This record gives sequence, C-alpha cells and structure tokens, in this order.
Amino acid sequence: MPSRLRRLGLSGLLLGAAALLAPGASAADLKGGKLRVAIIGDMTNFDPMQFSTVNFPLIKNLYDSLIEYTPDGKAVPSLASDWKIAPDATSVTVTLRKDVKFQSGAPLTADAVAATLKKGADPQKGKNVYATMSFVKDWTVVDPQTIRLNFNGPAPERQVTDLLQFLSVIDPAGIDTVEAKPAGAGPFTLGERVVGQRIVLKKNPAYWRDKEPVVDEVTLTVFTEDAAASAALESGAVDMVYGSTARSAVRLRDAGYQLIQGPGPLVQVFRINSTRGPFKNAKFRQAFNYLMDRQAILRAGYAGLGEVVALPWAPASPAFDKSYNQAYAFNIDKAKALLAESGLPAAEMSNWKLLVNGSDEPSVLISQIVQGSLAKAGINTQLDVQQGAEFIDALLKGRFDAVFGGVGNVQKFPTRVATNSIYRTSNNPILGTPHPHPEYVAAIDKVGTTTGSGDQLKAAYDALNKSMVEAAFAIPTNTYDTGLTLAAKNVSGFTLDIDNMLVLRTVGFKP
Amino acid sequence: MRLPRRILAFAGRLLSQPGPLASVLFLVGLALLAAFADRLGIDPLAQDIAASLEGPSAAHWFGTDELGRDIGARVIHGARTSLITAAGAVLIAGAVGVPIGLVAGFFGGWRDAALMRAVDVLMALPGILLAMALIAVIGRSQSAALVAVGITGIPSFARVTRAQVLSLRKRDFVTAVEAFGGTPGYNMFRTVLPNAWSPILVQVVVLSSVAILLEAALAFLGVGIPPPTPSWGEMLRTGKSYLHDAPHYAVLPGLVLTVTILAFDTLGRGMTRLLEDRDSGASGLKLEQASR
Repeated sequence: MPSRLRRLGLSGLLLGAAALLAPGASAADLKGGKLRVAIIGDMTNFDPMQFSTVNFPLIKNLYDSLIEYTPDGKAVPSLASDWKIAPDATSVTVTLRKDVKFQSGAPLTADAVAATLKKGADPQKGKNVYATMSFVKDWTVVDPQTIRLNFNGPAPERQVTDLLQFLSVIDPAGIDTVEAKPAGAGPFTLGERVVGQRIVLKKNPAYWRDKEPVVDEVTLTVFTEDAAASAALESGAVDMVYGSTARSAVRLRDAGYQLIQGPGPLVQVFRINSTRGPFKNAKFRQAFNYLMDRQAILRAGYAGLGEVVALPWAPASPAFDKSYNQAYAFNIDKAKALLAESGLPAAEMSNWKLLVNGSDEPSVLISQIVQGSLAKAGINTQLDVQQGAEFIDALLKGRFDAVFGGVGNVQKFPTRVATNSIYRTSNNPILGTPHPHPEYVAAIDKVGTTTGSGDQLKAAYDALNKSMVEAAFAIPTNTYDTGLTLAAKNVSGFTLDIDNMLVLRTVGFKP
Repeated sequence: MRLPRRILAFAGRLLSQPGPLASVLFLVGLALLAAFADRLGIDPLAQDIAASLEGPSAAHWFGTDELGRDIGARVIHGARTSLITAAGAVLIAGAVGVPIGLVAGFFGGWRDAALMRAVDVLMALPGILLAMALIAVIGRSQSAALVAVGITGIPSFARVTRAQVLSLRKRDFVTAVEAFGGTPGYNMFRTVLPNAWSPILVQVVVLSSVAILLEAALAFLGVGIPPPTPSWGEMLRTGKSYLHDAPHYAVLPGLVLTVTILAFDTLGRGMTRLLEDRDSGASGLKLEQASR
C-alpha cells in the first residue's frame, strides 16, 4: 500500500510537472474568465517579506521577484533580465527589465530594488527576508536599471540566487504601507478584501509578461475547514482548492480531480531541546535517529504524500543524500543499543514530555506513533497537547523537551535551513547561546563559505550531514506538502513555484 | 435499617418498568466491561498502521482507526474514561452542592441569599465555557476534566437540595426534633437530609449523563483528556475527519455514546415519574415522619 501511495504521489507530481506551461504558450491555449479559488485560512497582510503560509496565495500574484526557480531548481530571469556574479564571488550585478511598471504606474528601477533591500536588511521590517540578507554587506545603484550587491565575503552561487529569488520588489511609494496595501509589480491588483471571507484580485492590464495573466479576475474564498473547501470543489462552487490537507488531496485525486504538488515541500522534524533532561546525553539523542518509524508517520500523518527523509533536505537540495534514509531507518534494536550506551537510568529516559500541537491533526497522529515506538524501546513518555498561541509560545521560546515541527527552505542552499529556529547557528531561541553543538555550527559555516569545485562542495555537504545526525538535536522524518492544490478538470496552466506558493498568472480554463 | 428497605422498594418499582430495566442492564454491562477491560485481552493503544481505517470485521468488531488501533477496544476503555469522569464529577458536585443547598434551605436568611447568589453566578456561566476555562488554567488531564465537569454540576445539586429542604423545613417532624433540643446540625443531617434523598438521587443520574456528554464535548473540542487515552469524544473528533473513508470510525463510538446518554435519561425519567407518583400519593411510598 505505501508503495502504491508513493506511485500515486509521483504520478501527481508528474501530472503537475506536465501541466507546467511555458509562459506565453499557456496564454495562447487557455481561456480567461473568473477563477474561483478556495483557500484555507485568511491572510495576515500584503507584505511579501512575510512568508507565512496563509499569505502564500497572494505573494506571487501581487508581486514578482527578481528571479525565479524552475521546479528542478534552475534560476531563470523575472524582473531581473540578467545577473552576473563577480569572479571573486563577493558581489552580484543585477540588470532589471525596462518594461516593468508597478501597479501604481511607477517604473521599476534600481532605486526600488535598493528600497526593497533596505527593508529586507532591517531586523524589524525584514521579516523572513532578514536572515537571508545576512551575507550582504551593502549595495550600489549603478544606473537606473542596474544594481550591485556586495557581500561580506565570497558567497556560493546558490546562496546568491536564493536571495534574488526571495526578493519580491516593492514600489518605494508604498513600502511603508505595504502591510495594508499591496505595492507590487505582479500580474494581479487587489480588487477587494472582505476580512475572513474573500479576496478579489483583478488582472493587471500593464503586466509585463505577454498574454498573462490569463484570467480576468480571481476570487479567493476563505474557508476555515478543509472538508468544506473540498465539498465546494466537488459541488462546483469553486474551481480550485489551495492548501488542501493530504488526506483530502488523495481522496479527490482518486475521484478524478487534478492534484498539483509543488517542488518546495516542508520537512517534518522531531525537534529536541538538547539543553534539557536526558536530551543532554548525545547517545540518548542519537537513539532517536532509529526510533522514527518514518513510513508509518508518512502514511498515517500525510496519507503517503511525501518522502521519508533522515536529513532536512528536499530532493532538489544540493545536500540531499538518500543513503541516510537507509542508514537511519527505523530500528528498535539499534536504538536500544544506543540507549544502553547512554548509561541513563530507565526512569530518567522517560522523564520528559513530548509537546504536541493540538491544532494540527497530523502532529497529534505522528506524535502518538512516536510515543508507541518509544514504548517499544522502553521509553514511556507523555504527550503534552497544547493549542494555538500556547503551543506557539512554547515552541518559539524553547519551552519543550521535544516536539514535531515543520521546517522550510529545504530545497534551497543548505545554509538556508539555519533560518529555522531549531537549526539557527546563532541566537538559537531553543538551544541558546553559545550553541551546544559547535561541530554543526562549523559545518554550516563551512558550507556557507565554500565556493570551490563540486568535490569541495560535496565534502562540505557530507560533513554537514554527518554533524546533523551525530548532534541529533533535530531528527527529520518526512517531507510533506504545503500548498497542495486541487483543481477541476477544466482548469490548466499551473506554474509550480519553488516555495509552493500559488501562482495564478498562467492558470486559465481549457477551451 | 429502614432506609435501605425503602431504597430497595423504590428500586423494585423502578425496575418493574421495561425502559429503566433495559437502561440499568445496559449501564451495568457497560460498567462491568469498563471495570474488567484490562482482562479482556484487548489493547486500545496497540498500533498497526498497515491495518488502518479498516471496517468492522471478525478481528475488529468496530473496525480500526487511523493508527490501526481497535476501535472496539478504545470504545470499551473509553467507557472507563467516561464513567470515571461521570462518577468523579457527580461526587464533586454532590459533595459541594448538597451541603450548600442544605445550609441555604435550612437556615434561610442571609446565608440563603449569599449562597444562592454565588450559585447563580456559577449557573450564569455556560457549563462548557466554565469547564474550558478551568482546563486552560489547570491543564488537560482526566482529573482536570473530572473537576471541571464536577464544578459545573454544583449549582444543580445545590438548587435541588435547597428546594427539597425548603419543603421539609417547616414540617412537623423537623419542628418536633427542634423542640426536643436537636441541634441544627443534627436536624439537618439526621432529620432533613434522609428525607430529601430522592430528588438528589435523580439528580445523580441526570448529572451523570450531562457529565459524560460534557466530557465528550470537551474532548471533541480538543481540550479533553489528551491522547492516546481513549475517549469517546476524542474518537468523534478524530473520526469526523474520516467520514468519507471510514464512516464506522465516528458512527460506532457516537452510537455507544448516544445509547449511554439515552440509558441515563430513561433511568432518570423513570425515577422522576415514580417520585411524582409518590408525592401525589399514588405509589404508596410515604415519607417517613419523625423516624427518630
């Protein structure tokens, strides 16, 4: 059954990839009209630097980034027509398109990019972009269409393109009010927003890509229940659902609806607070590499959609290494051996609680699976189920012994993983300062500063992977999709985004 | 010695009616299953992911859940959770509510006013909201659910007891005990309370069903007893997500919950009817006058 699910999941991905149309070709083949999309949960604000999943339906439709990635991770032009990394890898010169206008009518210039960079570099305003800007020293506007970004030192190419892909350029005139009012150069403009109910997007008539967007209007209807959104699709009340659960996605896929899976999954990680209780013991932590029944977790928690992983990388990541899945497969005997090596008394091994996000059904399920696996190894722990703000507070402030939580940016340059709280190398809110695993910090630093040949990079990635499983403060279990998209049969032209954001500019109706 | 005889006579009349008899048989059977669940050789926590969401079969009468656990085993162990919560809640509510009603009804005056206003405040708060607030403070656990549900039941016990005491307070046999020098404490607990037991007993049955329902509601809302402890409400909460794929998951535990509530209500209605008949003189049961 799991292999069947994997095959079906792969077919879904291939279906999605097959539906990826080259811009222009899609516009010619598809009809416009009004597109109705169900989204799960209302957005928080229009700031493209706020990478909250509830904002994913909007960011790529109201804004364009400097470059984009294809689903297999190749950088392609977008607002930037060209970019050149200096031979010493200490700067990148970005050339902007000349035919782009913001929705306000103002032209896209290097000053606008500079204003966006300034916001990104601000610890308060930069939000999710801020950490990605850490290697940027400053920038210089060369001419109205050219800007040069200078780095603190040599930077790997992938790290540079990751930043350019992450930067959605904001109109300087609207940058201070961007949370309340979008100020982008994207394919759609904001028509209407009714809080908690719907967001209406209108076609941007001055959009720079030829024959895009295809549809004239998009209505994003807010649903609070995934089941209600699925029912709306089945009844024909909406054309698409964005952000479906894996279970609904599999059910509707089997019923004949299109399932589109993006290339940017999250990785579920069993986070361990290695500064508390028995988790201070390295052997005890390392046993958890073998205590994760990843197949069961993937199947029960995510309906088999995803891949089991022992490292926090998606297959598109350059550090991805499948051999670790086999080496650290579920194995109670190996776990017991490490537990014995730890020298901890049985009572101490069970003297901790597994924090659980009660609002997230998969987390509740997979925590019970792990609880069952631990019991087989002689560790009897309790679940500490907390809801909403109480859970988030405990998670972000590190007030837990262990907890499951997803991490993102796993398909990009490996150092990007350090933007997730548990993987931070400095000011880690869970593990504190100084970082208790210096070998991991050194490995991340090495990856971030290695600009040499493929072999040198591979050696750096291998050292990082090895340090991760040995430090064992975060045990990845599986990838899972955020932004699962379901669509009626008459909808086509899906563009897969590397972050699994919703891209609607190429979507239209089949003739 | 005469009180148990009266109870036995009351029970005999109650069980002569088919509805209450069926209810008692069901509830006793459920209680026995819950009490001896550990000896039935069924493990509510044993996972078999490969067999998840299977329908009812010879191996799993109620089918399996999303982790391949036996739903039947979880329903039986869930009965233990529900019945313990109900019993504990009734004990707490009765232990606090009955003395409040007794004192308020017996003494009247400022004590009655003060105690009843406090009870009014408690009654003004929706039970489920109060329980959720309490659980938010003391955390999720079976004892927390038990205490929360118990506190919400205090007003009903206090009000029923007070009403009964008020009707007994001016009766001749109470006055006689006072005239013979009986202290208020003696009069309350030895004279009035033994004659006020019948509506309180009905209240025990009624609150038991309310407590089971409230515990299930709390679990359904995600603030009840934490997993993996089996709970009917938790099964309903999780099962609703699988209604398309495995309708048995939510339906069968829901059915057991419904029948249990129905049994308690049928029993409560039967007792109420008997007491009404007694009060109107039709049952032949007479209030014991000045037994001491």
